[in-house]
Amino acid sequence: MLLFQTIIVTLISIMMRLDSRMFGRLNFERPLITCTICGLLLGNLGVGLAVGAEMELATLGMMSIGASGIDMNMGSLVGCAICIMTGADIETALTVAVPMTLLSTLIETLASVVRIQFTHMCDNYVNAGKFDMAKRVDIVYGPLLYVICTAIPVFLSVYFGAGVVQSIANIVPSWVTSGISLGANIIAFYGFAMLLSTMVNKNTVVYFFAGFLVAAYSGLGLTAIALIGIVIAGILYTVKYVGGQSKQSDSVSEDSLNSLEDLDN
Amino acid sequence: MSKEGLEAQKNYPLNKKLREIFWGAWCMQTNWNYERQMNTAYMYGMSHCIDRLYPNPDEIEKKKEAYRRHLEFFNITPQCASLTLGISEAMEEEYAANPDTFDPTVINSVKVALMGPLSGIGDSLFQGTIRIIAMSVGISLAQQGSIAGPILAILISLGTSAPITWYLGKLGYTKGQDFVKQMAASNLMEKVMFVCSIAGLFVIGGMSASLASLTTPLKFGDTLVLQKILDGILPMAIPLAMTWIMYGIIKSGKIKPMWVILGCFVAGIVLNYFGILAC
Repeated sequence: MLLFQTIIVTLISIMMRLDSRMFGRLNFERPLITCTICGLLLGNLGVGLAVGAEMELATLGMMSIGASGIDMNMGSLVGCAICIMTGADIETALTVAVPMTLLSTLIETLASVVRIQFTHMCDNYVNAGKFDMAKRVDIVYGPLLYVICTAIPVFLSVYFGAGVVQSIANIVPSWVTSGISLGANIIAFYGFAMLLSTMVNKNTVVYFFAGFLVAAYSGLGLTAIALIGIVIAGILYTVKYVGGQSKQSDSVSEDSLNSLEDLDN
Repeated sequence: MSKEGLEAQKNYPLNKKLREIFWGAWCMQTNWNYERQMNTAYMYGMSHCIDRLYPNPDEIEKKKEAYRRHLEFFNITPQCASLTLGISEAMEEEYAANPDTFDPTVINSVKVALMGPLSGIGDSLFQGTIRIIAMSVGISLAQQGSIAGPILAILISLGTSAPITWYLGKLGYTKGQDFVKQMAASNLMEKVMFVCSIAGLFVIGGMSASLASLTTPLKFGDTLVLQKILDGILPMAIPLAMTWIMYGIIKSGKIKPMWVILGCFVAGIVLNYFGILAC
């Protein structure tokens, strides 16, 4: 049973890794999605959704551009799987995710050295006229390395980690777990600020406060906030860029009014 | 110089070319490396077209040259890569048709010129705006235990990524080199950034007010409940303050992300223990 469940989680991790490599980053790699699938397949959708939402929230702001940034996707999936398999608290997922993130950063650094070698292999194959080999390096070896560097640590940590985590979770007092939960909420604000710092300047900070105040006073959900935001952006776009044309149409309607008056006469 | 390859390329159906461009773009990060970033993926994306253009053994030097051209440094948001792949394919055709008059170094300089602006637009559109909207909508539904959250998040991501990638590929291939001039003339970049920054910032503001809760259980006697006073002044005052404290930490640039994350856990345990903050 343990082996079977571990294999399922490993397969999810492979899909997660290939998302940003071969599917143009469709957000299948995000904790909200991977944890939900994990919950669905391991037979506890409720926990999957709860962990997914919690981890997504904590990492929402962390943009992964190129290779920089922190990748908590792998840690989130493993944390979620262990939560479901051991029946531990949702906070346990967070405590698992952080060391896993350190581990995946380390592995990623090593893998990036290998990928530079792949690039040189590609150069050499092209110079030798072996074009199919050059293509194979890119489309087979590259993704394969990513998959190996994800699947193996996920498999090992789920297979051997579940028992360890369970025995630790049993002795940790509740004020620590609720403190970790508070910590996760604080991390979420780090993510919000990270997003903010990439987009905000003196002229646009007002839109942040607009969104904040609407949400704080109305208590509307984020779906509503997102839709309102899109509409406001649309309105301001019209005002700024389509303004010239609307003036033209005003003059057209004036003309037609004039011609109507002419008809009256 | 045989024109056999050029004929084959011209007669190849447009939809099949666009499909190659589409997948080439989505596979842009197969071998991301610190030396030349997405170079081998770009070569792979261009390879089908180059293979068609130079089919004969006596054209192998031309073919090698073309492959090497697309092994240069490249980096872009994957969904936007279809645009440059399309433009490059159109320009490779032009070069194959006029090898004596067309300067092939222009192919790469167009790529380089588009890389920066397109990554800027692409990252703020896909990572900064669409992902944030999709995921925050998904989170708020998932927090209520509804699987509609993740499903909606995926539908929003897929429903924007796929058509935009396809359309950009078509635009790039049909407009070719002219696209660069048109883009500069129409302020396209400025417009996209304008819309993204308003919608994106509005949602980030809403997120910091509603997604993660922070309250204070502090009270002095029965009459002085700090949270009540704060709510009277400005609801969600603590989340707002926390957002800007974190903003200050990021702007100072002194603390590494991993330390901030570990620090948050320590702060969470300490503040929770002394009853200063709660979820």
